[in-house]
Amino acid sequence: MRRGVGLAAFERHKADIQSYATLSDSLSRQSLDTLQSQLSQFRAKLKEFAALHREEIRKNPEFRASFQQMCTNIGVDPLAGPQKGGWWAELLGMGDWQYELGVQIVDICVGKREQNGGMIEMDELIRLLSQLRGIPTADSDSSGSTGKAPQDVGAITEDDVLRSIKTLKPLGAGYEVVNIGSRRMVRSVVKELDMDQATILDIAASIGGKVWPDLVAGAANWPVERAVAALDNMLLRDGLCWMDDQDEDAPVVYWVMSVLQFE
Amino acid sequence: MERRRFETHVTSTGFKLPSIHEFPALFCFQPFSSARSNQEDIWTRLILSYARHRRLFTLCADDAEKPSSDWHEVLSNERIKRKLTGQQVTTLLQTLVSRNQAAYEPPKQLSSVILYWRKPEEWAEVLHSWAVATGQLNTIMTFYEIQNPAIESDLTDIPSGLLRRAITILTKTQRAQFIEGGDGDGVRFFSGN
Repeated sequence: MRRGVGLAAFERHKADIQSYATLSDSLSRQSLDTLQSQLSQFRAKLKEFAALHREEIRKNPEFRASFQQMCTNIGVDPLAGPQKGGWWAELLGMGDWQYELGVQIVDICVGKREQNGGMIEMDELIRLLSQLRGIPTADSDSSGSTGKAPQDVGAITEDDVLRSIKTLKPLGAGYEVVNIGSRRMVRSVVKELDMDQATILDIAASIGGKVWPDLVAGAANWPVERAVAALDNMLLRDGLCWMDDQDEDAPVVYWVMSVLQFE
Repeated sequence: MERRRFETHVTSTGFKLPSIHEFPALFCFQPFSSARSNQEDIWTRLILSYARHRRLFTLCADDAEKPSSDWHEVLSNERIKRKLTGQQVTTLLQTLVSRNQAAYEPPKQLSSVILYWRKPEEWAEVLHSWAVATGQLNTIMTFYEIQNPAIESDLTDIPSGLLRRAITILTKTQRAQFIEGGDGDGVRFFSGN
């Protein structure tokens, strides 16, 4: 190309650059389109494969593991069904790990809900998560070597749990972290915890879980009726307590389930 | 204060009680419905696994009240001074029956059951395999011989009601036949192929 001089040449040069840009634009769009269609084809095939081998995937753990591994590498959850809901990573911005942790949190919270009314202490949740994931916890290897860093084997931290709970938000399941006194608790039921209940939880946590009206009234400086009403709400309306009518301390005592630990 | 923690306990008969058995409120039926159904699950599971552990076939309402009962270490917990009442056990019997994990025995009363820690269908298979293994096909056997074999078997002491139910299941596939005898009931097994 002859290198021109003057204003006309400058204009022509500008036009050249523009047309090059357009060409490159359309080229990259083309290859992007191809890639996109290849990817969607691939995903469709993968879904087809999943549908075909659904039973096998469900029954055979080894097959399932390698299939899931393959799927998670490319961000597909074929087991979630035909809708767009299958694309966990896209929808929720969760990595596989976070997603998995989220599922385990839900698993534990739902599994314990009947017992504790949907409130679980953070420490306890982490302990159960670790158990579920086969991570040795502080108390399970206390008999062995001491002072071992818990980070070694992919331990779960409070921060991980907080982040996973945050990513569960779009599901509308109502998972929330609440502070009761100096404790953090995870709530898995959409229910307001009123101030009186929070006070009782705090008292119960500080003395080992068992409370009764006179004790609560004394500790919180309430009339007894207020303590009775709050405790009965926790027992009868919210399922946060279990009662015992054979205790020596009072005709009826209330055990706040979320501050207890069962081996 | 540290969180209150409940531990498992191994009984004198070698049964490992779950940590919730140390929890006093487990012995008081809960008014909140989901806690209550959780509690009944815990009790029925405990009863069936203990029955399997000790090969106990029957549970009666008054097993809760008698310290000499085979069930004492499960239906009560002396370490925490708690025990179920006969009334509570009656309720659990009802739950077990409604879930097909037990049947009232004798029928038409509500205070004692045969426990199905193996389903009658499973007992039928155990029974037939035993008859085959011990070479008892095509001969007439009394219930007594099955319940008191020379060499102890899985079927030793099986209650007659349950045995009859198992045999009835085998008759449907022509693998057994009731024999009416003068002194007690009898049965004949067939290979059934």
